[in-house]
Amino acid sequence: MADLSIKSAATVTPGLHKALAAARRNPLITNIKARISLFILIPILTLMILAPVLPIQAPLETNLRALLESPSLTHLFGTDKMGRDIFSRTLAGIQVSLLVGFSVAGIALVSGMIFGTLAGFYGGILDRVIMTIVDIFLAFPSLLLAIGLVSVMGTGLIPVILAISLADVPRFIRLQRSQVISLRSRAFIDAARTVEASQYWLMSRHIVPNTIAPMLVAGSIAAANAILIEASLSFLGLGIMPPEPSLGNVVRDGQLYLEQAWWISTLPGVVILLIAIGLHFLSDGVRELLDPRSRK
Amino acid sequence: MADYAVKKFFQLIVTIFGVVTLVFFTLRFIPGDAASAMAGDTLSGAALENLREKMGLNEPLLSQYLSYLKSLVMFDLGETLTTRLPVGGLLLKALPITLSMAIATIILTVTISIPLGTLAAFMAHKGRRWLDNGLTGMAMIVDLMPSFWTALVFLLIFSLTLGWFPASGQLTWEDPWALVQRLALPVMVLSITQIATMARITRTSVLEVLSEDYVRTARSLGWSELQVLFRHALKNAALPIATVIGLSFGNLLNGTVIVEFIFTIPGVGNLLINGINSRDYQMVQTLIVFYALLFVTINFVTDLIYRTLDPRVQF
Repeated sequence: MADLSIKSAATVTPGLHKALAAARRNPLITNIKARISLFILIPILTLMILAPVLPIQAPLETNLRALLESPSLTHLFGTDKMGRDIFSRTLAGIQVSLLVGFSVAGIALVSGMIFGTLAGFYGGILDRVIMTIVDIFLAFPSLLLAIGLVSVMGTGLIPVILAISLADVPRFIRLQRSQVISLRSRAFIDAARTVEASQYWLMSRHIVPNTIAPMLVAGSIAAANAILIEASLSFLGLGIMPPEPSLGNVVRDGQLYLEQAWWISTLPGVVILLIAIGLHFLSDGVRELLDPRSRK
Repeated sequence: MADYAVKKFFQLIVTIFGVVTLVFFTLRFIPGDAASAMAGDTLSGAALENLREKMGLNEPLLSQYLSYLKSLVMFDLGETLTTRLPVGGLLLKALPITLSMAIATIILTVTISIPLGTLAAFMAHKGRRWLDNGLTGMAMIVDLMPSFWTALVFLLIFSLTLGWFPASGQLTWEDPWALVQRLALPVMVLSITQIATMARITRTSVLEVLSEDYVRTARSLGWSELQVLFRHALKNAALPIATVIGLSFGNLLNGTVIVEFIFTIPGVGNLLINGINSRDYQMVQTLIVFYALLFVTINFVTDLIYRTLDPRVQF
């Protein structure tokens, strides 16, 4: 047994070196903006994943002997009026934020791709109908649309994700449609048509693959926006409801104690800002990597 | 131009009609119905039935819809379900406060961001990029700060620690000075995001114009740098800037809801949040439609102004 483990360790090490060398050449790491984003996002993700095994109080656990304590080594972000640990609640809130951010980006990306491609490719009455609906949804400022939808669907994780997605989907449809329209008349599409490629083939092999890069860039910005809107909804008391922590409702909890305990509201807010900045740098990095023209 | 305006206006009407229809039917799809959602567990049996009758929920859906459209056209916004006050009256009372915040924000934004953006563009054009780089970086961070967080941080610093502005207190038009003091912090919070966006747009537009041929011609004719900057560059960059002011109005409306909630300002946003918390669907329906109308109308006007003023835009 001992023999086996030594042997496998020996074979793993060169593999590891190779992987590290490959990582050093990976454009995601050499690109400066992507590097800044990873520098911000990886520690946050690691802390979030390790939260259950870190020596900190559980997010919902109260401790009546440590009420409104200022930040210290045992409570990095201090405690609230019920003696709950703000750092641990923040880490739990990050999970909610990222879940909302990536679900919304995913939903918006996929539905934007489908409806935008159909509208742009076929044009005519289908395009008219889809774009009229898109215009109606874009008539609402995004946060207000989400507030309105949540007031009907109720609070909680799923309604929040759906509400923010509905506010975002029209923007993705519009982007995808304009890309498809500009691709539709390009020479390589005509070439494919001359060899009698089917419409499905044209869309799936020639059009959609060429639209993915800008959609991914838009997707990571949408994730950042979704995180900000979820936090705003939860702050207004219309999103994730306490005691379940989310970054927005932790900030809301601290609002009444702003004078005695500034840390409850301010520190989780800094984390929201960091995540949003990280995602924006990621989108900038992805854009530069995918579009050789914007590389300096 | 007239053709274009008529076509756009027709589109606007279709969108508004769609908004009204969407909001109406969405509210009719509440699980259970609006009456039982509103009553919660407090009413049952006959009392609930009575409420349904009063809200007109027993009528067929189509006739409810038609009478809703009719009342909207007559500017009859109905009564709040809980307090039986006319919604139109409440809206008219709350609107001046929200609008004065919005207008003050736009004025403050324009006076700070346009000189700042122009200066950054000018210095970048001269090869000194530090202001430019600093501005772009700051703009990104400020743009991403959640407005509720900025509001609380401002409240903590300027109100609770330094004591410069009151955090609460009456808001009346009789005492303008108190009103200004009370609205100063919310307007600062709203402006800071707008300034970031606007300064960046100004910088980009001015920088673009500065490399145009006619600017070079102006220089070669002996115009001084400042004259070139203000008579030519800024004048031509004004249009995209004006358009962005119109387009960022949606963000501004989003922001007013948040700051009104935090600074307890009795504006339209507070009315909306109270309406949702008291499950007053009549109120929520009216206010959401109102926000959308305001937003699309401003976009429509911005678009027309842009096209009227810029002779290069083709129809």
